[in-house]
Amino acid sequence: MKMGEVELSCLAYAKMYLHASQFPRSSVNGLLLSSSPAGAAVCITDCVPLLHSHLSLAPITQLALTQVDVWCSQTQQRIVGYYQANACVSDSSPTPCALKIAEKIFEQCNNAVLLMIDGEKMFPGCRVPPIVMYERKDARWALKDKHTIMLRQWEETCSIVNQLFSSGDQTLLVDFDSHLDDITKDWTNQKLNAKIMELISPANGNV
Amino acid sequence: MSSISELYDVTWEEMRDKLRKWREENFRNSEQIVDVGEELINEHASKLGDDIWIIYEQVMIAALDCSRDDLAWSCLQELKRQFPDSHRVKRLAGMRLEALERYEDANKLYDSILQDDPTNTAARKRKISILRAQGKSSEAIRELNEYLEHYAKAAFCLEELMMTNPHNHLYCEQYGEVKYTQGGLENLELARKYFAQALKLNNRNMRALFGLYMSASHVAASPKVSAKVKKDNVKYAAWAASQISRAYQMAGRGKKENKCSVKAVEEMLESMQITMS
Repeated sequence: MKMGEVELSCLAYAKMYLHASQFPRSSVNGLLLSSSPAGAAVCITDCVPLLHSHLSLAPITQLALTQVDVWCSQTQQRIVGYYQANACVSDSSPTPCALKIAEKIFEQCNNAVLLMIDGEKMFPGCRVPPIVMYERKDARWALKDKHTIMLRQWEETCSIVNQLFSSGDQTLLVDFDSHLDDITKDWTNQKLNAKIMELISPANGNV
Repeated sequence: MSSISELYDVTWEEMRDKLRKWREENFRNSEQIVDVGEELINEHASKLGDDIWIIYEQVMIAALDCSRDDLAWSCLQELKRQFPDSHRVKRLAGMRLEALERYEDANKLYDSILQDDPTNTAARKRKISILRAQGKSSEAIRELNEYLEHYAKAAFCLEELMMTNPHNHLYCEQYGEVKYTQGGLENLELARKYFAQALKLNNRNMRALFGLYMSASHVAASPKVSAKVKKDNVKYAAWAASQISRAYQMAGRGKKENKCSVKAVEEMLESMQITMS
């Protein structure tokens, strides 16, 4: 992979999509993780869904960031980005809260990305991934060139997401907010991860 | 002229630790900071590791206080080189412009930060300081109020809800979150009280429990509180931590996949303990 390229794994994409779908009337957000070593390119291999309410209130966000940080150091992952889907589908621009959190992540990771989910493109049969990515350039968050964003096996990814919906497995997704409502729920989503990995074909190389 | 280390017979480690103490306790003894800091930077930079960046920041601000623009400039250059896109460094550059009374240039810098991050409190505070320095206090007050309005509105709505629904632990907890977000010592103490109240109404509200833990920890760690207040808040935080621990132990029992979240919480509580003591 070349400098400035970003690869988004099927696992990360699927969970983000599921998260946004689970709370269609709220804004949702989460963190993007990588299990690859730091380099010129960014490989987003997983994500952690965080909130679906009061995104701009500090305490729970701080708590979640701290816990994910700890978990990452235990599992050799790094936080490499942030995603958000706005409640208002027609507006996919980053909110001040999104910029603030992305800025914090950028302090620790100099090729961090900010990903906004484009609600208007989230319908079955849409040919284009419903995402808009920003990167840090000249002290601002600038739109990333679409050609530097890789979603390998896009068709397969779409089909996997559809399978999750048809089997009802999309309800397995737990975000940090839900975890706080019931702490027996696992925000690292081990169960759902396993299901998704099962569906990913061996040829994908996303193992 | 003899060095600090010679004059006071101290090692570079002692000098570094003194700087840290002054940082943590928010001392404004700028002349001392400049003396100690300048020698540390000039003679022992390579030994300081990553501490050097926060020392550059501390020394730079002290240098501005002492009209040592030469020193302030060189610290700023080092920070700019290491953190080229940082808002925090930009703010320092703004402070230097303020010291040189180049208020328009400073404001331009702060405005560019706010364009990127409209919630950047530090930049807003600097803009307000400039207004005060220029003797425009009523404008300063107006700017401050505008910024606070957003969260003050949220607080106001919740106050109404709490009055009409006194047994609803969720409103109490949310109010605590708004106060915590507004920040500042008074708001943190208020936040802690509302989290505690939410817990009285529902002792299983995890958000309130974490909120209590975090607000009490922050209050205890503040250099502005009395020893008694610090002691009380350490107690509250410790209580909350034990409750959190217990809740997670019970939740994690028998469920393999919960081990990760349980471990993460334990580590987090441990690490926060260290910073508080």
